Parts: sequence; C-alpha cells; structure tokens
Amino acid sequence: MPTIPRLARGLLVAGVMTLLSACRSGGSGAGPIDATGGVPVGAVIALTGNSSVIGQDQKIGLELAERHFAGSGAPPAAKGVKVKLRLEDGGSDEQTATNAFRTLINGGVAALIGPSLSQQAFAVDPIAQRAGVPVVGPSNTAVGIPQIGSFISRVSAPVSVVAPLSIGAALRQNPAIRRVAVFYAHDDAYSTSESKIFQQALQRRGLQPVTVQRTNVSDTDFQNQVTDTLRLKPELIVISALPMDGGNLVRQIRELGYGGAIVVGNGMNSPNIYPICQKYCDGLLIAQAYSPETTAAINQTFLSLYRQARGGAVPPQFSAQAFTAYQVVFESLQRLQAAQPPGKPLTALPAAELRRRLNSEILAGRYDTPLGPIRFTPEGEVVQERFYVAQVRMNGDGRSGRFQLLP
Amino acid sequence: MDATLPVQMVLGALLGLSVYLPLATGQLSLATPGFYVIGGYVAALLSTGVAALGGGEPSYPLPSLLLEMGLAALLAAAVAVVIGRPVLKLRGIYLAIATIALVEILRVLNLNLPFTGGAVGIFAIPQPFADPWGYLLLSALLLAAVCWLCARLGAMRLGRAQAAVRDDELAAACMGIDTAQVKLTAFVISAVIAALTGVISAHFLNTWNARQGSFDASITTLAFVVFGGSRTWVGPVLGGLVLTALPELLRPVGDLRLIVYGLVILAGPVVFPQGVITPERLQHWARHRPWRRPSPRAGA
Repeated sequence: MPTIPRLARGLLVAGVMTLLSACRSGGSGAGPIDATGGVPVGAVIALTGNSSVIGQDQKIGLELAERHFAGSGAPPAAKGVKVKLRLEDGGSDEQTATNAFRTLINGGVAALIGPSLSQQAFAVDPIAQRAGVPVVGPSNTAVGIPQIGSFISRVSAPVSVVAPLSIGAALRQNPAIRRVAVFYAHDDAYSTSESKIFQQALQRRGLQPVTVQRTNVSDTDFQNQVTDTLRLKPELIVISALPMDGGNLVRQIRELGYGGAIVVGNGMNSPNIYPICQKYCDGLLIAQAYSPETTAAINQTFLSLYRQARGGAVPPQFSAQAFTAYQVVFESLQRLQAAQPPGKPLTALPAAELRRRLNSEILAGRYDTPLGPIRFTPEGEVVQERFYVAQVRMNGDGRSGRFQLLP
Repeated sequence: MDATLPVQMVLGALLGLSVYLPLATGQLSLATPGFYVIGGYVAALLSTGVAALGGGEPSYPLPSLLLEMGLAALLAAAVAVVIGRPVLKLRGIYLAIATIALVEILRVLNLNLPFTGGAVGIFAIPQPFADPWGYLLLSALLLAAVCWLCARLGAMRLGRAQAAVRDDELAAACMGIDTAQVKLTAFVISAVIAALTGVISAHFLNTWNARQGSFDASITTLAFVVFGGSRTWVGPVLGGLVLTALPELLRPVGDLRLIVYGLVILAGPVVFPQGVITPERLQHWARHRPWRRPSPRAGA
C-alpha cells in the first residue's frame, strides 16, 4: 500500500494548512487600535461550565453598565469616548479562557475585564501582562492576583478581607458558639483559599473546628459527610463551595436535621442558589462587598437599571462588581481623553501606548461606584471602604428570597 | 497572527495519539490524562522550584525545557511499567474502569500532596517562548515525530504484533507473540507521549493544577479517537485537531456554540461509525485523489 504514506503526507500538509488558517491576524500594538464604533474593551466571563451561574450575574452587570454609560445617563465628559464592549465566553476552565483572552487581545482591545475565576486568572493574566493589556478582575478574590503583573488589577476585594466578617456576624448572633464544622470544595482553588482564611479567622477567635470535611465541586451527595459531622453536634457550619455543590450541601445539611447557623463563602454569593437549596437557603450568612442599600447616586442608578431589567429583583454582588469593573475602565478612558491636547484623539495613539496610559490611569483614579468609593494600590489591589454581611431570607414559596443586610 | 488555537489543536492531536496507541493493541485505556498531568507537574515543579534551571531568567532556557521533557518521559514510563503490568491483564471495559480509577487516584493525590499546590496548583510557570509560535513549532515537531513513529509502526514488528493482538489476542499468542509485552510497550509509549504533551501544556498554560487530568479529560481524549477513527493514526490526529478547534471556531455562533459542538460529536459516530478516517476511506481517496485535477503527466 504505497499510496497510504503518500496520502498521509498529503493529509499532514492539509493539517498544517488548517493550522495556519486557524491563526488569526491581530494587532501588534505598533499601530493605533481600531476604534470604529468605539474603543474596544473585552470581557471574558464564565457563561458555560460549572461557574456559569456567576457569569450570568456578571453578564447582566456588564450589559447594564454598557447601556448606562453609552446612553443618556452618561456624564457629559463621556461624549468624547465611546466604548464598544466585546463579550466572550471564558468557560470555567483555563483553556477556554486562554482562547478568549487571546482572541480579544489579538482583536485589538484596549483593556480586558475578567476572567470570572481566580484559577483562570493565574492562566490568562500573564498573557495580558506580556501583551501589555490592562486587566480589571471583576471577581478574582484569591491571594496573589494583582501580584501577577503591573497590568493586573481587580475590583473584587481579596478573600482575606471579606470572608472573616461573616464569622463575626454569626458569633454576634450567637456568642455561645463553641463547636464549628468546616466544609470546603477541595478541588476548587477559590474555595480552598477561602476556607483557609475562614479557619484562620476561627482560630483567632479561639474556635478549633470539630471537623474539616473536603468535598468536590462535582459532588451531589453529601449524606455521609453530613451525618458524620452532625454526630459531632456543631453549632456553626462554615462552607466554602460553588453554587451547585454548595447549594446541595446546604440542602442536605438542613434535611438531615441541622438547625444551627451556616456561614457560606463568596462562591455562593448569588441569588442563583435559591433554586438549588430553595427554602433551606433561609438563614445563610454571607459576607458582601456590595450593599444594595447604599444611597450613593451611582448605586441608585444601578439599582433602578437592574430592577427594570430583572423585574424588580435586587442586584447580587457579582453584577455590581462587573458594573464597577466596566465603570473603572470607562471613566479612565474618559479622563485620558480629557487630558489629550485638542485635535488629538486618544484613539490616534499607538495601541501599546494607549494601553500603557490606560493602565496607569486605572491605577491612579478614584471611583464612585455601586460598591462605594474605591481606588487601587500601586500594585492593583482594590481599596474599598465598607463591607457587609447579609442573611438570606427566603419567601414562603421557597423559590425566591432576598439578601438582607445585617446591621 | 496568533498561534494559540493551533497549539491547543496540536496538543489535542498528541493526546488523541496517546489514546490511539493502546487502542491499536485492542486496549481501551483512558489513562492518558493521568500521564499528561504527571508531565505537567514535572514541568511546573522543576521550572518554578529549581533555580538552577533558569526559571528566574526572562526567557526560560530551552535546554531546561528539554531536560524536563526527558525527566517527565522517564517518570511516566516508569509509572506506566509499574502500573501497566497488573492493569493490562484486564480487558475491555474492565481496563477502562481501572484506568479511570488511576486518573482519579492521581487527581486526588495531586490535590493533597504537600508540594503540588493543592487546588490552586502551581502558577507563574516561566515561559521558554515569547509567543505561541515557539510552542507551535515545538509541539508540531513532537506531533510530526509521533506521526512518523505511528506510520512506521505498520512496517515494524511491533506494529504488526499490535494489529495481531488487537484482532485476536489468543491467535497472536499462539503465533508466538509476547502479547503482554506488546500491550505494555504500547501503554508505555502512550504514557510518554501524554507526559511530553503535559510538559508543553504546563508552560503554555502558565499554571498547572489537578483539574487538568480529570475524568472529563479522559472522555474528551477518547472522543478525539472515536470521532477521527481508531483504525489508523490519521484518525486521532484529525479528531484531536478538529474537536479542539471546533468550540473556538464556533465562537461567532454565540450561545449556541456548545450545542453545535455537541451535535457534531454526536453526528460523527452516527454518520461514520468507524470514525471519519478509516484505512478503506484513505485508500479510496488515494485512488481517486479528489483534490487533484486529472491532468496528463508531464513528459509522458
């Protein structure tokens, strides 16, 4: 069969040609960016995979921000710079997020918002750093994200700051708590680092966990672990997990008869847990980086936009943070444009220079956002003034509820 | 020009070939992601932990990368020999289950060992190449070498023994073929290919964690072979290239892209039960050469 090797060679050539055709052309950074229809800003969020419930919240936040800042509600200075948002699905894994980041960077975006997960950020932020594209993380809370590079910042306060607050709230509600059980998804980067912070916070208060149970993100049945835990008679259960597994875990803990307090982490900080744990979501304590009750004008605007879009619902933290990330990029672009000499539009700058200036402007600015007034450290870490703790209150139907802020 | 997707496609093709080799010996082994993860951890641990390799330099030295590849290949081969001897006594679905268990054991180990970084894994892995083109060149060279090996196997004693074991193990044993040795050799080569792919992947992805080798990854790599065809090495290569590229090429479709992707995976085995590429189809194409216009031979 001498034809087969020859054919194989032909196929190999065809394969190489397919590979070359898959290489898309992109901006090198030497020329100006293509600002037709507005300065392109990319967003990479998890619309598919096991973190898609987070991505859905973020998508709404970004879309509301885009509509708000492009529309009549935009501040007058914004008239000079239009922003075109390019949303890409980053999936819930590193490979998909890498492709989405590369696609957008090569598509010539001025800045990037994303990715949804800290684990993805460790994979894709170095790519943006090397390309010199500013990244604003809307929900990366793991330790070490802004330290990836000078172009990386985040509007999501690190887990070490936010997580311990809910433990404090639980102990204020019941100062007699002595026996604490800890659950965490040990195959999820975020949940693992958050659980460490929770356990340190417990230790600082002199509380040694009676048990630490490891779960998996893909688990659905926790009966054995819950039974073992309840035998130890805990008075507080602390959970770090993602919405799907965490919601099921809460449900099974309550179904097996536990009536004490439950603190959950930021991974479950979304109304999307309601359909999963239903009436059993009631009473969960969650630390918040966002309060819908803030009276600042920008929050009231965000609130009314969200209510219009979602039939009166209260916005979750992930939506508020995504809105904020967009706002940070948008306002920085505005300020840059305002600082340009007359007749020299921002978009005439070489892409690399525009991105570099935009990054410096992002880090230097102060922002009045739905999260409250924020700024950044030179490293890119967000400095936020206030945090909150909310308790989930489910309605009688067991399908809807709200996050009620604790005083 | 961006070569990110092509790099991932080539890595997909390599993983497809890693699943194909035991399959060409009649062994349904799903251990590929396990060895892939071993390779990735070797690269991640050495490049971030051993300063002498040059991880602190702006560009990670190529000899260090090649050293990692060598060590990863050795480690994977050693693990494959130790595990392969007992496991390859199993057949069919039992072997598949045992290899899934192997992948799962490695995943849990990697999540809990003190030096693998837990769920966060290892990040800030140094870069040997400034852009994806370097990765494309390296992975394409590796793919070309593995393809050449697979193509040569047909003419080698090992390749013919593999085919004999696949078609009828008992008959092959009666012919004097050491079937256990043939199966183990294929398993070890498969493990080495997966580990080498893991080394390139770890640098390419900047970060490495236990999620890279999961049950899902076993099924994805198997899909490369089922879609492309398991009776010739061209099939898994095509399957790996196409199925890795498809979700990205379908991005313009928007929210429907994963549905379309699922439909393609579903339609493949329905329309082509033996895979898209079979030896018969290759011969047919070779005879008819649909891509070449009939023209009189020059000088004839």
